[in-house]
Amino acid sequence: MPIVELQNIRKVYDTKVAVEGLTLAIEPGTMFGLLGPNGSGKTSSIRMMIGMTVPDSGTVNLFGQPFARTALHRVGYLPEERGLYKKMKVLDQLIFLGQLHNLSEVTARKRSLAWCERMEISEAIDKKTEELSKGMQQKIQFIAALLHEPDLIIMDEPFSGLDPVNAELLMTTLIDLRKEGKAILFSTHRMDQVEKLCDAIAIIFQGKLVLSGGMREIKSRYPRNRVQMIFEGDDSFLQHPGIAEFKNYSGIAEIKLTSPEAAQSVLSDAIARGTQVSRFEVMEPTLEEIFIETVKGTPEFLAAGGKIHA
Amino acid sequence: MHNVWLIARREYLERVRAKSFLIMTILIPALMGGAIGGIAFMNRSLGSGQHIAVITANTQFAADLQTELADPHGLNKPTIDAYPPSEPGIRDTLDRQLKAKGSTLDGYLVVTPAATSTDRPSFLWVPKVQSDVITRSRVADAALGALTREKLTSSGMSSAQIDSLLKPVDLEAGSGKSDHAGAAVASAYGMYFLMYFVILFYGMNVARSIIEEKTSRIFEVLLATIKPEEMLAGKVIGVGAVGLSQVAIWITLAVAAIKSGTIGQDVHILPSALQAALFVVFFLLGYLLYSSIAAALGAMTNSEQELQQMQIFLMLPLIFSSLVIFNVITNPDGPLSKACSFFPFTAPLIMYTRVIVGKPGVLAVAGSILGLIVTITIVLWIASRIYRVGILMYGKKPNLPEILRWLKYS
Repeated sequence: MPIVELQNIRKVYDTKVAVEGLTLAIEPGTMFGLLGPNGSGKTSSIRMMIGMTVPDSGTVNLFGQPFARTALHRVGYLPEERGLYKKMKVLDQLIFLGQLHNLSEVTARKRSLAWCERMEISEAIDKKTEELSKGMQQKIQFIAALLHEPDLIIMDEPFSGLDPVNAELLMTTLIDLRKEGKAILFSTHRMDQVEKLCDAIAIIFQGKLVLSGGMREIKSRYPRNRVQMIFEGDDSFLQHPGIAEFKNYSGIAEIKLTSPEAAQSVLSDAIARGTQVSRFEVMEPTLEEIFIETVKGTPEFLAAGGKIHA
Repeated sequence: MHNVWLIARREYLERVRAKSFLIMTILIPALMGGAIGGIAFMNRSLGSGQHIAVITANTQFAADLQTELADPHGLNKPTIDAYPPSEPGIRDTLDRQLKAKGSTLDGYLVVTPAATSTDRPSFLWVPKVQSDVITRSRVADAALGALTREKLTSSGMSSAQIDSLLKPVDLEAGSGKSDHAGAAVASAYGMYFLMYFVILFYGMNVARSIIEEKTSRIFEVLLATIKPEEMLAGKVIGVGAVGLSQVAIWITLAVAAIKSGTIGQDVHILPSALQAALFVVFFLLGYLLYSSIAAALGAMTNSEQELQQMQIFLMLPLIFSSLVIFNVITNPDGPLSKACSFFPFTAPLIMYTRVIVGKPGVLAVAGSILGLIVTITIVLWIASRIYRVGILMYGKKPNLPEILRWLKYS
């Protein structure tokens, strides 16, 4: 039973179509990436998922039931725009937000303290939010989304503004939560960030779904025809007929092959010519490349001037 | 309801715990008391004609003028310098004295006797300050009084008879209910300004806190669990409870002070239990009405500056109320008072004032309350629609057609 199921949802604001015919499903215990450039309709979709706005048409199912507000106590949401009460003390704030999710004051306090320890911000507990650094505020908001032990965790751009150490901490925490069987929805425009994390993805562009499915399955759909090579000496092997395009940054070459099978032939050609190859890597396409590949031909892409701010 | 309660409790506690609440609670009565006391004190010595000079040959006229200028309680006896017109260069001397630094002389009066004894003498008034119209009119009154005394004396009345004839008339309240008309008016004014201030201040507070939540984006988190209507209700209730607490503190202190006799021995200044109950009712209704308008304004705007431009819509009916309040107090059951006490946006203030000083009748009060409740329901409905859509919109300031369209969004 999928945790979230969107069926053909559509939302129009005045004249702007925010989401058009979006269908997706998120299974328990998966990390799901909702990807797309800025303004493609990610936040609009999430808002409909948690009943902040109502779709003009289509259905939203949460935990196998048609959307009902009671289901929201099983959802944890970290919005893209971070916000906390500036003048409130951290602990009071966490308890208040926990209580809004139906926790008792005692439970909310206990869990807040435990989480603050886990996220290494115990020293901030008695401070006012406005006194904290942005990264710390982000962690507090992260905790607030998890206090009530939700089965569905929605993270809208969770890593923006975090340093690598803290981003790593957040990521490990999320991976732990996935092990516990929770479903995690990631929304981001930084496709490279979720590449390692996500089990399944949906890419939307201009409000429409352009690609969705399991990460491995999607990647396997695209040929492994890219090679990165580090070499010394003769570079005449780059003229090999199996190479469609290449960029040679004096010793580091990015190569696009005519077919995945050409890789071995290119490598042996280089060695035969006496080139010193210190690295030869056949790479799978990145999500970003897959995305660009997919939307390249669409009228929306051409209308946007062939540029995507991914 | 649980969520509304949580939101309201947070709003209430955060505000009551803030230092500004304590400061306001102490400072406002202190400032008000200080201002009223200060103005009263300054007015006492202002333009009272404490020291004037008269150029007249008639010494009795100068003495009468002094009697007339003295205030009825005999507290301040004015100084009158009388000079005969025969004294050489007297006007130049007085002119110099008027201009001299530190001189207390407020002006001088030149009395020129009439040609015939039946005509009035003519008067020339040279004041120190041209714009001092208060002294001018007091001197004119006093001169008229002195002339009257002169005529009455010459027609054979004794000075005791004249004094008793010319003393101010004391009007007693005929109904026998209470002869503390002044106290009733004072308490009506007091309650009116209390309500005016609290409604305006805490109504704007609701708008401000909505804008604050919009700028800090906290409501995105809140909206993931609770409905916008619950947020709005919790906010309005929480902030309103703060206002009510503050008023309760002030009134308790004022009652305690009056009871203990610290200020004013006039116990009749206290409203009756019914009036107090109606104060709470009209305060709550007025606050609900204005805070829901404020909430809608807050949801429509993105910053304090934008809110300030819209604030006039909130203030206009209140300003209008304060323009008609004098009319209402002096004529509480007149047509203007009646109209304003049923117009929902002025009803809370005006109808309550009428309850204190007039006799609006049970039906009229009930009708006014009913009208308010209906209006509040409509305004709340509109406000919650605007709020629901408005808080999710940011960046661009919406125009009127857009706001009207928001009302239709589900």
